Amino acid sequence: MEYVSPEGLRLDGRRPMEMRQIRAEIGAVAKADGSAVFEMGNTKVIAAVYGPREVQHRSQQMSDQALVRCEYSMANFSTGDRMRKPKGDRRSTEISLVIRQTMEACILTHLMPRSQIDIFVQVLQADGGTRSACINAATLALADAGIPLRDLVTSCSAGYLNSTPLLDLNYVEDSAGGPDVTVGFLPKLDKVTLLQVQNLLNCVILGRFSALVVGKMDSKLPIDTFENVMQLAIEGCKAIANYIREILLENTKQLEYRRGL
Amino acid sequence: MVGLSLGEKHFIQGGIAQDLRSDGRKRLTYRPLYVETGVIPQANGSARVRIGATEVVSSVKAELGKPGSLQPDKGRVTIYVDCSPTAAPMFEGRGGDELSTDLSVALQRCLLGGKSGAGAGIDLSSLIVVEGKICWDLYIDCLVISSDGNLLDTLGAAIKLAASFLISFVTDMRNSNNIILILFLKAALSNTGIPRVHVAAGASGDDNTEVDISDEEFLQFDTSDIPVIVTLTKIGRHYIVDATSEEESEMNSAVSISVNRKGHICGLTKRGGAGLDPSIILDMISVAKHVSEQLINKLDSEIAAAEAGEEES
Repeated sequence: MEYVSPEGLRLDGRRPMEMRQIRAEIGAVAKADGSAVFEMGNTKVIAAVYGPREVQHRSQQMSDQALVRCEYSMANFSTGDRMRKPKGDRRSTEISLVIRQTMEACILTHLMPRSQIDIFVQVLQADGGTRSACINAATLALADAGIPLRDLVTSCSAGYLNSTPLLDLNYVEDSAGGPDVTVGFLPKLDKVTLLQVQNLLNCVILGRFSALVVGKMDSKLPIDTFENVMQLAIEGCKAIANYIREILLENTKQLEYRRGL
Repeated sequence: MVGLSLGEKHFIQGGIAQDLRSDGRKRLTYRPLYVETGVIPQANGSARVRIGATEVVSSVKAELGKPGSLQPDKGRVTIYVDCSPTAAPMFEGRGGDELSTDLSVALQRCLLGGKSGAGAGIDLSSLIVVEGKICWDLYIDCLVISSDGNLLDTLGAAIKLAASFLISFVTDMRNSNNIILILFLKAALSNTGIPRVHVAAGASGDDNTEVDISDEEFLQFDTSDIPVIVTLTKIGRHYIVDATSEEESEMNSAVSISVNRKGHICGLTKRGGAGLDPSIILDMISVAKHVSEQLINKLDSEIAAAEAGEEES
């Protein structure tokens, strides 16, 4: 199947290096300490942060840092076919873990010992890149909650189909079976904090080794192509970081205005 | 869940006795209602309703299925509510299951009537295509995003709105061996049109029934009769409508009544341990009927406004 037409257009009319339209909103859940809605194309995700607050299970309390917990759930109606079991399946557990580790790395947990920070992410619509949208929404929600962060974490995915690196895969492109790279990036510190590569069954990166063996495709993916794809994802992350910063500035101005400053 | 000091409790109870609640409302006033329809593009109908700080999203999906053997002349409706952990940390993992089940059952009772399908707020016989063989299966899924009291009313309103906006398009797909038809309903105005379906002569066996969807003729799927739910919470000696979660924590008992446009009662649920004198329940029912008129008018004006918006675009 052709994912990139000869004219260089993807299935939804985008160029290979073009990201989907992003939209974010802060403060969607009034009862939460911080919350945000993040949309990337048709993928729509809500994140809510509760904390820092007292630890619920005393046994998990840490005397020198905050406990960060995360739960990822998808709504019944988020995918095309109605899902039977929205919670507790393995994919949800894995993504919860990934988001928790990514956010924990950038929260200054040592400033809030013996407390707990809960991050809840709910997927309303899934069209590829849910992982990335969740991380972006969680960053905004944490900022809205006023939790001290080392840096904003932004995330974007990129892939390689029809010999073209593609930025921000949607569901169809994601299920095409090509390699799929999700990157979590700290823009100010210029560091990659999350790197997940899927559909590369045997992936060996050794110093000067010049090729990655891709089990499924039975072809060699040269390491510089992989680097290109990763670099493309990082560029996507930087663009998202700029947008998130704008949104946060706008929100702060609104808050100032309401306080009469 | 909600920790209130003794002083706060007295404040709430005293205020209600004087017809002045903590946010300035009267006893029978609803919080501001915000509505957005068509929020889930891949569902046939969807709505997002916010009453105060309580927010829910509901989606309706319609699929063709086989009617049950006990009710061959009726379609099927399944209602499922999920409490998202974003609404409250205690809904994490399985924590929200109890409340979800409670709400799902209460909604089913209010909207769907008894086991035989009699007395349902949604007319199930209008969902039948071929008696005994094909019927429409409606899956109504709701998600509670934010919770500040009065979940049932918000869910009822969201379901009514989502069902009023069943959006769809028709397509059919054939392959060489079977006639497989993938159907979606056609884009419609508020009273959803379910396309009239003609069954090809000589059809036999379930899978190979050839069904032709007509684009022009529509059966009126009457959604104006779907009831709304009004919850009356009794605190002290008075009842209030649309309680916030603080007020709900103070309640003696609550009665949720579903009333349709004609003023008929479609279902009733009583929660809370305190006993109620029967005359009080009758009084609550008449108050609920009165209040429901306001709510139905508000929802109808939202539907009309959204339709007008759709026609323009």
